[in-house]
Amino acid sequence: MLIREVMHLNPISTSPETSIRDTYNLMNKKNVRHLPIIKNGILVGIISDRDVRLATSKFAKISLDPQTQVAEIMSHPVETTRLSEPIEVATQTMRQYKIGCLPVLDDSKLVGIVTVADLLDAMLLMTGVHYPSGRLDVRLKDRSGELAKLTKIIAERNVNIHSILSYPETDGRLRVVLRVATMEIRPLAKAICNADFEILWPKQISCEE
Amino acid sequence: MRRIIYNPKYNLYNLGDSHPFSPQRAEMLIDLLKEWNIYIEPIKPNPVSVNDLTAIHNKQYIEAVEKASSGIAVENIDKFGLGNADNPIFLGMAEGARYQVGGTVLGAKLLMGKKANKILQLGGGFHHAHNSFAAGFCIYNDLALAINEMVNYGWHVAYLDIDVHHGDGVQEMFYSNENVMTISIHESGEFLFPGKGWIHELGQGSGRALKLNIPLEPFTEGSSYLEFLDKVVKPALSWFRPNALVVQAGADAHFSDPLADNLLTTYDYEKIFKKIIEITDANCNGKVLFTLGGGYSSTATPRIWALLYLIINNLEIPQYLPESWRNRWQKILQKPIPKALHDLLPAYEQIPQQKEILKTNNDVMRRLIDSVAQHWL
Repeated sequence: MLIREVMHLNPISTSPETSIRDTYNLMNKKNVRHLPIIKNGILVGIISDRDVRLATSKFAKISLDPQTQVAEIMSHPVETTRLSEPIEVATQTMRQYKIGCLPVLDDSKLVGIVTVADLLDAMLLMTGVHYPSGRLDVRLKDRSGELAKLTKIIAERNVNIHSILSYPETDGRLRVVLRVATMEIRPLAKAICNADFEILWPKQISCEE
Repeated sequence: MRRIIYNPKYNLYNLGDSHPFSPQRAEMLIDLLKEWNIYIEPIKPNPVSVNDLTAIHNKQYIEAVEKASSGIAVENIDKFGLGNADNPIFLGMAEGARYQVGGTVLGAKLLMGKKANKILQLGGGFHHAHNSFAAGFCIYNDLALAINEMVNYGWHVAYLDIDVHHGDGVQEMFYSNENVMTISIHESGEFLFPGKGWIHELGQGSGRALKLNIPLEPFTEGSSYLEFLDKVVKPALSWFRPNALVVQAGADAHFSDPLADNLLTTYDYEKIFKKIIEITDANCNGKVLFTLGGGYSSTATPRIWALLYLIINNLEIPQYLPESWRNRWQKILQKPIPKALHDLLPAYEQIPQQKEILKTNNDVMRRLIDSVAQHWL
């Protein structure tokens, strides 16, 4: 999945000369937590609602005047991403720098913004249930042909696979969760079990019967 | 004023010999009731028309079902959820489905016309049928159309789904409807088809806090169901005060069911059915329409629905099954049928995590009540 599929287009931005007060009001009004800061069409910084609150807090060493220009407290240079970057790479960037959003640049122009919430939505899309379906949880040996063998058994029973989610386990095996369009999950699981796969759900399947 | 609804034409809805949703289940039940000499002559419903169905189903979808049912090839039939293992295409399926929908709609009409107040429809319960596609053995949603009729009549309707699978089709069709409350208790979508029915699915707009779901842990026992009737259904109905209750009485939460994992016994079902009747007597003038539904253990399902029949009709519950009935069906099923109507206890091996399961289920019920309580003031 790519950034262009999950980002927000035409993000709200502000200029470095804007006061902290106006920046705060703009965030409140538009209900956003991050504002890219643009000067002459170029991204020069970024500000979060947390930056604003910390800079003006009564508890801060020097509590800034609300009239101060936002340029004083903005973060720069800015970590950014691009339209065709895979979301897992952008996620790694955000985790590494412990930040909550990335402006999306195309040809040095700001075209979008992606936040942690967008990545959570992407996760929902990948893990969620979008069609009536049952769940099959299988542990695979991490080698070629295993997944093909598994899906062939499902196809032979004329059952549609709505989604496949996989993740590595610590011992080098692959955990695969499939959403399959059937109420009869157990006979299906039995056939898979008989083909020498380890079934984690549905439970209590004995292959032999 | 109790009525039974049935038409032998329901048997047209036959998905094939190896398919678990078999018309044999109702046949076994009726045969058993006849053997006991307690079978009341049922009212025979007519099928609903294709036009009637447009109230709840998409026109192209109905057209596709009707065509496929008469043997005409339909392009992209799979996009309508047909032609797969769960919903195979077979001749006469549309007609069979329309007869069964007709039965549930007739039930609604009998309630509205004050012709009866406790009704058992010996078919229907197609809660997985969606507006524009078939799923989970269901094509046309009889429950939704019956509820819709009552809503058009000006009624508030509550729907209770005790089938082990979430009643997704019915919930979806009334998700923002303020006149319909849907309540479904089921094995959690984390583990079982259709994968939905979470407590945060509370309804939309003016239908908010009128859609209730209790997703249960796999291997849940009967006590959680009784807890649910007391802690969720009772307060919900006493607040909503529906004109009638529609119950999808699927029997697939039984411990022997081959499609799911919950561990109800026939004793639990007896208590559940009695409790539902008690709740309807207290909250909606006893107006209740039961349909059948899931239930895929051929030896348990007819016994569970026999209990439902006995309880609705206020009859004494016999201890044993008739010998001749057992002999007949044992031969057909090639399976032993227990001598007694009720399960032999202990019915199954005790599950070690039972305490944990109970705790999780109680937590879920409390969380649901917490999130709807603010809307129910």
